[in-house]
Amino acid sequence: MDLRLTEEEKLIKNLAAQFVDNELIAREGDYLTQTAPFLPPGAPAVRELDSAIRSELTERARQIGLWILGLPEDFGGSPMSAVARVLIHREFGRSVLPFRPVSIPEFLFETKYGEQLANGKISLALAFEEAHRTGELSRMRTFYRQEPDGCILRDSAIFISNPRADLFLFPAREQGTQRLGLFVIERDLSGITIGDEVDLTTDGTVARLVLQHCKIPNEQLLGYEYEAGAIIASEQLNIAARSLGIGMRCLAASIEHARNRVTFGRPLAQRQAIQWMLADLSIALRTSTWLTLEAAWREDHELTYFEEAALAKKRAAKMAFQAADVAIQIHGGYGVCKEFPFEGFYRDARLLRLLYGREEEIDRAMGERFLKSD
Amino acid sequence: MEFNLSPEEERLRQVVEEFVRDELRPLEPDFVNAPDIFEGSRWKSRVKASQDPEIRRYIEIMEGLEKKAEAKGLWYLDVPKAYGGLEVSNVALIAVTQELEKTNIPFELGNHVSNILYNCRGEQIEKYLWPCVRGEKTSAFGLSEPASGADPSMMQTTATPDGDDFIINGTKMFPTFADVADFVQLFARLPGTKGREGVTCFLIDSGTPGYRVARSIATLAGTEPCELVFENCRVHKSQVLGDVGNGWALNQAWLGARRFQVGIRAHGKSLRVLHVIGDLIRHEPKEIDQFAPRIGHFLGELEALRTLTYLGAWKADQKMDVRSEAANVKLFATELLHRVTDFAFEVVGQSALRKNHQLARTFRHARATRIVEGPSEIQRHIIQRELFREGVAALELM
Repeated sequence: MDLRLTEEEKLIKNLAAQFVDNELIAREGDYLTQTAPFLPPGAPAVRELDSAIRSELTERARQIGLWILGLPEDFGGSPMSAVARVLIHREFGRSVLPFRPVSIPEFLFETKYGEQLANGKISLALAFEEAHRTGELSRMRTFYRQEPDGCILRDSAIFISNPRADLFLFPAREQGTQRLGLFVIERDLSGITIGDEVDLTTDGTVARLVLQHCKIPNEQLLGYEYEAGAIIASEQLNIAARSLGIGMRCLAASIEHARNRVTFGRPLAQRQAIQWMLADLSIALRTSTWLTLEAAWREDHELTYFEEAALAKKRAAKMAFQAADVAIQIHGGYGVCKEFPFEGFYRDARLLRLLYGREEEIDRAMGERFLKSD
Repeated sequence: MEFNLSPEEERLRQVVEEFVRDELRPLEPDFVNAPDIFEGSRWKSRVKASQDPEIRRYIEIMEGLEKKAEAKGLWYLDVPKAYGGLEVSNVALIAVTQELEKTNIPFELGNHVSNILYNCRGEQIEKYLWPCVRGEKTSAFGLSEPASGADPSMMQTTATPDGDDFIINGTKMFPTFADVADFVQLFARLPGTKGREGVTCFLIDSGTPGYRVARSIATLAGTEPCELVFENCRVHKSQVLGDVGNGWALNQAWLGARRFQVGIRAHGKSLRVLHVIGDLIRHEPKEIDQFAPRIGHFLGELEALRTLTYLGAWKADQKMDVRSEAANVKLFATELLHRVTDFAFEVVGQSALRKNHQLARTFRHARATRIVEGPSEIQRHIIQRELFREGVAALELM
């Protein structure tokens, strides 16, 4: 056993940490502060990152290899271990700025979209709505049927959380065989309508993707059960890692505030109620950190890791929510102010807990596997 | 980053795995209705003196196992090489206990020597340390008092110098096994001192005039800790462990990395509790539907406990400061074991409360673990102290 980071891992972690401190957290003030002194009631509905700043950040991240993680060498990138991805997402999680590296499954770079994806000309989103319920593929209810000239998707409608993407990865089961197929579909493909975009409580949106008489060319069927499962596990690890970043930021800020804020003649840091909140949070953070790293390490060593990734995501996201909650409570009135990052983390973390497996479903799957074994 | 055991550690783990499979598991049916003579993985006090043939039978089984384990080279694992031991890593000791905890047989590898006895000097080494290593002598640990438990700096027992001797006066609460131990590691303070100052550790033989075990006290857990009374008990200065006035450091160092054993023991016990439930409801679809999520939840928490325990043991092997890690493990482990056991009763129902039922035993044991060797509240105190001292650097990767 050696739980130290390797030199290479340290380098990449420090690189990401510097980028997050200098480029993201340094800009948070501008992003969070409301510009007008008296906003219309209810505003701002959604905070967005200025598009010029987003392009600038994208360009800088690209230059240091923190834009598309694990970009193939043919496109000027280099392979990246799962542990390294976790370290990077963990750093990015520390900022409430909606800017994070992009994950694109490797097989997409072998398609006609490879070049454009690598250049950032087109964007990709995962249309995995049904997987958000259970964190696995067993209960997918979108079906397709394969014909010589293409696959016909049965009419249905799902929610998607990145409705402005150009490409969507879309899983569906084959009628009869029940085999899972993973399709890549273009947003303007005939038979697809994207609409009814609404704001979420996070600073994101959700929309309806409706399939009606949709036929997809056979070469758009890119993967099967394992590929889809690996994407889910990879997203779960990303969420877990981001949650760790939220935890570190909220804990650090809470410790600092508790040291300085005085009530009734003593700093908050000397109050047991505060100390215990932070002690319990730190245990949740420590355990989630090592579960996440171990799951990533298992992926790198070609051991089974899907269950471990699901568990890491469940515990880490819940911890991030607890961290934001504790930070809000300790910061008091400032905690709920939009000028501070904690209420944003709080809203984000609530969503993270629901993505790629609701908590109870991940628990249920673990429990049922245990009851079925021996 | 590497999570695997080293080849050497892995070999040891496999030997223990085989030992559990070949020697311990076949005994399981015999232990289902064993008399209540074990507490956790240890003998209850005074059991070994029993003449009851049924109890003698179990004693013989356990002694036979000890010989077999020794023959397989599984003895003296945590004894330093200087004393003929194997001095394996803390990580290996965790892996070993993880294997042992896969069975209900309350078997523990020995001989565990109170770690502070390695501070023995001169004649103390022959008189106390070696016999403990060889398993010929056992010791008790006298720290708590009627009016000082979690905060031992309030101890009132005094050691008054008198020529080459010290005169000891005071009362000690709750040392387990003091009624059968050969000597006690006793903490007392020099007259006129306060707090952590002046605390001195003495090795006092059972039977020393002025020292008596006043009574043993029955507890929920089945342990029988003792009350020790010292009345003008005269001991020679050669009985001081370490230096006069320097006992506080020994109190702090006691247990050391063995804290992490608490973590992996609770992990194994909790898993066995979940297996008991599993065996009961495996074929009942309605029960599975109802309880699978909570069982799954606890399995996840146990995974968290496992990583936390190995992390602490590994840091201890690296000679890092593990006071906070130990507190993390002690708190998380004992609270979790308690919750798992509590949940198990909800599944199994009242039959699990039968005195000899495995769950009932674990239940009684689990409640006490949240107190002994530092209550949960003290563990939280240690954790927050590190957080405010070091900030999040305490949680940063290495």
